[in-house]
Amino acid sequence: MPARTPVGPIALWRSQSGRAAASADRCPHRGMRLSHGFVRGEALSCIYHGWSYARAGNCLRIPAHPGLAPPETIRVPTHEVEECDGVIWVAVGEATAQPPRLQGVVPLRSLTAHAAVAAIEAAAGAKAGVDGFAWQPQSKLQIRLLLVPQGAEETLIHVLLDDDSSLSQRIAASRAVETLRRTAEDLETKATAP
Amino acid sequence: MTHDAMIDEWYPVGLFSQLDTNARKTALMGRPIEVAVEAEGHARVTSGDGRSLPVCVRYGHVWSSLGKPQKDLFAIPEADQPGRTLVDVGVIRVRCSPLRAVENFLDIAHFPFVHTDILGAEPHTEVQDYKVEVRQDADEVWATQVKFYQPQAAKSASGGITTEYMYRVPAPTCCVLYKTCPPRPGEWDVITLFVQPLAEDLCDVWPWMALFDDATPMTDLIHFQQTIFLQDRSILENQIPRLLPLDPGMEIPTRADLTSVAYRRWLKRHNYTYGAQLVAQ
Amino acid sequence: MTILGDLDALSFVPWIRRHAAKLGLSQAISHTSSQRIELEVAGPVDLIDMMELGCSLGPFDVWVETIHRTPVDGGGDQVRDRPS
Repeated sequence: MPARTPVGPIALWRSQSGRAAASADRCPHRGMRLSHGFVRGEALSCIYHGWSYARAGNCLRIPAHPGLAPPETIRVPTHEVEECDGVIWVAVGEATAQPPRLQGVVPLRSLTAHAAVAAIEAAAGAKAGVDGFAWQPQSKLQIRLLLVPQGAEETLIHVLLDDDSSLSQRIAASRAVETLRRTAEDLETKATAP
Repeated sequence: MTHDAMIDEWYPVGLFSQLDTNARKTALMGRPIEVAVEAEGHARVTSGDGRSLPVCVRYGHVWSSLGKPQKDLFAIPEADQPGRTLVDVGVIRVRCSPLRAVENFLDIAHFPFVHTDILGAEPHTEVQDYKVEVRQDADEVWATQVKFYQPQAAKSASGGITTEYMYRVPAPTCCVLYKTCPPRPGEWDVITLFVQPLAEDLCDVWPWMALFDDATPMTDLIHFQQTIFLQDRSILENQIPRLLPLDPGMEIPTRADLTSVAYRRWLKRHNYTYGAQLVAQ
Repeated sequence: MTILGDLDALSFVPWIRRHAAKLGLSQAISHTSSQRIELEVAGPVDLIDMMELGCSLGPFDVWVETIHRTPVDGGGDQVRDRPS
């Protein structure tokens, strides 16, 4: 699937054995987006000409030339990926630390807001750290939000909730975050209006 | 705007059979134009500033140019051969460089992955060596002896066959494909891709065919080609960059891409750069 | 491999080195001028084909007229004649 990081679009995929991987979203052969590709076994293949790449980024196969063993140097740039507590983390550049642990919470949903991170922080009255921020829109509803900027004008919001939350709490949290998104988008519109 | 050599070329701007006195508003190389067929049957193309543009009607389409074409539109002798069914496929709008649309049409290595079980299928992915040349007399790029295994090469084909192709690029945004004709060994089916450059990164693609096939209903022939081109569109709109790189510094062409490289060299030689990216990035 | 054409060697030589590196080929450039570049390339024939193809297009400010290939002491290469 396609995903966006501060350094550009990536192709995020999960191999058959279940391991997550991330590469640049551009096949080095003819520039096709690798996020449109398909996964077979432990490799991601480009949908255009079937060039396939290992999780480490090296090209494994060029179908038009089946007799050729691709050299190690034909590769797609990759990003380090860590999966913990139900969240996939992608490192931008060299990772200097493990991703933060988010114990006792489970992912609920992700949604995109047409607003910058600052507008969402303002709407929630909180400031996000590396592990996002805790937000309590009403009593007995503790939500953790992770914010990922998607360019200058959009933010991807990952919503996590206590792992013992009831169905009604999950529904309430989902609605609360949608309200937060609307508030943030209104703030953004007011801020950018001439 | 453009002082590109492409300004003096002919481009398709509409299907003659679908035009009438009500002008079709469209664009050519970033300029608005209007195309109409007058009551007495003459096609007329007018630029946004009211200028009458050069016109010719050929291969089912109206052709025009923003500049001064130095020669007549290229010939397709098979278009006048008796017994062929001429198919106006219609238009497909693609958000990509017009040159990318042509390059993709010249490519066979994508058949098993993009046109799976129609024009190709794994494990038949190998591209055998073929010949490419620029024919100096006509100044056209030709690829010949192109062979590929196909599960269903044409609407008239039943079962898999090894199809032979010849490709011909007679103009910067036009390509003529000759392919093995299942019902008539010894003859070639003709499938063309005429591309109207609306902008450097937007084009209308007008496929047209001259086939030996009197068994398949016209609508099925049209649907078959449209299916193929819609599959191609999903590729063309997702290539980076959107323009066609004339410097392959960010790419890795292989022997299977020989036609693509010859086409790009030919564009570069003629300074045909509308829709091209000159510096790799 | 001998590359002939209108070659702005300044931009082309680093381009050639980069492309060879991308293909995992070792290369040694022995002559450069504005009309001719000579280099030795070692590696599998499919990859040398890819090297030739890339160089035949090259950077935009270069025009490659033709590329000649001569095998050097049985390095597994073979000559392919290619129209240019």
